[in-house]
Amino acid sequence: MELHKEKQLLETLQGVFQLKSGEIKRRHRIEVEVEKKDVVPLLLFVKEKLGYKHLSHISCVDWIEEGRFELIYMPWSHQEQILIMVKVSIPRDAAEMENIDMIWRQANTYQRELREMFGIEFPGFVGDYDFILEDWEDIPPMRRDFDTEAYVKDHYFERPGREDAKDVRTEIAKRSGEQIPDFAKKYSR
Amino acid sequence: MNDKNSQKIVDVIKNFARKHSLFVLAYGTGCGAIEIPATMTSRYDAERFGIRGAATPRQADVLLITGYLSTKTLKRVIRTYEQMQDPKYVIGFGSCTINGGMYWDSYNTIKLLDMYLPVDIYINGCMPRPEAVIEGFIGLQKLIAAGKAEGAKKYKENLDWYRANQKKVIKNWVMPDYNW
Amino acid sequence: MMGDIWMTLLGVLVTTLLAFVTGMFYMGASRKITARVQNRVGPPIYQNFLDLIKLQAKDTAIHHGWMQLLGPAFLMVSAVGSLMFIPVLNKGLFFENFTADGDIIFLLYLMVFGSLGMALGAGQTGNPNSAIGVTRGLTQMVGFEIPWVMAIVALILQYHTTNIAEILEAQHRSGVWSMFANPYAFIAALLAAFGMFRYSPFDIVGAPAELASGPVSENGGKFLGTMMSSHAVFAFVKLVLYVDLFMGGADNLVELVIKTFGLYLIPLTYGMVNPRYRTEQAVRYFYGWPTLFGIIAILYAVFY
Repeated sequence: MELHKEKQLLETLQGVFQLKSGEIKRRHRIEVEVEKKDVVPLLLFVKEKLGYKHLSHISCVDWIEEGRFELIYMPWSHQEQILIMVKVSIPRDAAEMENIDMIWRQANTYQRELREMFGIEFPGFVGDYDFILEDWEDIPPMRRDFDTEAYVKDHYFERPGREDAKDVRTEIAKRSGEQIPDFAKKYSR
Repeated sequence: MNDKNSQKIVDVIKNFARKHSLFVLAYGTGCGAIEIPATMTSRYDAERFGIRGAATPRQADVLLITGYLSTKTLKRVIRTYEQMQDPKYVIGFGSCTINGGMYWDSYNTIKLLDMYLPVDIYINGCMPRPEAVIEGFIGLQKLIAAGKAEGAKKYKENLDWYRANQKKVIKNWVMPDYNW
Repeated sequence: MMGDIWMTLLGVLVTTLLAFVTGMFYMGASRKITARVQNRVGPPIYQNFLDLIKLQAKDTAIHHGWMQLLGPAFLMVSAVGSLMFIPVLNKGLFFENFTADGDIIFLLYLMVFGSLGMALGAGQTGNPNSAIGVTRGLTQMVGFEIPWVMAIVALILQYHTTNIAEILEAQHRSGVWSMFANPYAFIAALLAAFGMFRYSPFDIVGAPAELASGPVSENGGKFLGTMMSSHAVFAFVKLVLYVDLFMGGADNLVELVIKTFGLYLIPLTYGMVNPRYRTEQAVRYFYGWPTLFGIIAILYAVFY
């Protein structure tokens, strides 16, 4: 498979920035990891110099064991047909990131979502605090230390199950006289 | 003429008309709203039962809660429901309104609709097919004809209980008071 | 003298009832026909009566002021009032009401009156959709009134009278319907009727998908019921006016029903195959061919 476009891009990025790691995932997709201070220059560089005009998404992963959030910026080029995944780690206890909505306007929406769902602050960024949730008072719900089940038990009502609730799979098998295969048994109650 | 009997006859006529003329509010919550166009159009044709869409809550009789209801939407739904004029009915549509369905452990959707709004009839399934939706409507029609669809009355009588439940999930309660 | 008053009242009552029942059945038929065109079964033809009973049985616990209460009443007054000045059947066959005194110019004003009253009523509800709907409705009215008035002016020039009864008589004397005596006027009036009946593509006032039914959006229950019945009467009024002006009136009720229903089908079927226009498209439509036909009709009446 021809990967020279991707190789060329990775070499360019390695020449300009100090990448912590750089990898070609597959055709049309490369993944680089950088320091927090390099993110804005790199995004500006790929947008202005290399023509990555489209920001597909900003994603976030909560690595609670390592005490960090991993933000992933995904610019895409319509000419080159390559998606760059720019990874950056920020500390979990002081979650703060550079605001980039002057580079891409649509980053505003993603940053509002990240602020609401993960509690990541973007200093100098103007956007309404309520995005999808309204009047949220607990810790941000997509953080992994947020206990969803306890929250649900605490805030919402629960309908008790029926006394005579039966297992659907065994009932159907009994009615039609079939055997439940072994691999399916572990799904039965 | 016996006044009670004449009232009974009037009630029968009114209930017959109500039964055969259900204006459904075009308000889609959750994923179930996609079943409504199929129910209304050529293939399943709900209009032959007198069911048709109404554009605003003032004109509508039936509020369909089509699927999961996030707390943010619940606020709007309560406002909408209180703007509707009597007699009004609520249909809970899909598993999500019955016990939360696949959103049983979601932090942002309510699980039991009848704790917040008086539900006259539930349609189960995820998603209920248009046949099931029509059967639900026919069940509602039977309730109306028997004079048993009295959700709105229940709501007025137990308003404090409903309000307490609603305020439990809607923390910032800034709503106008309606003298419906 | 007393007997005259009772006869007049009876005439008003019977004529209004006839208009109401016919109009309601026409609306029911339109729903049924639309359903059949869309390969559906459709509601029964008496569905609108059930809707009306239900709407009248609904509570109306809230209103936004006196003007909103008066809006539907204005519509009804306008519809029944116009009905009084239109001969339903040819002379001497039915209650004459006030047809002897009615002329077309007065009728033109009276027919607009209801919509204007409704516009004021809708304005008081404070709903933004109502305001947009009213604006659209009045804009559309400016559109279709021009070919419609041109067609009527052509008729007035041709028969040298503004009295509807005399126009009817003149058609009978000459033995030619004015539909054939001045076909251009008929075409202009018919194209204007598309806007007047407000079926799609000219349903820009109601537009449930974008405007939440427009001026009606805050009116439920009894308001909506009154509007519905006045629409039924008004539909009949418009149809009978067309039949009187262009098709030589009707000698009996069966003939009336055939003629009016035939006319009614034209905007209905045109609407079934057309999506909704935008406001400026609708106005541009009326300023195009209909106005041209109106001008030709006037020239034809003057020079021929």
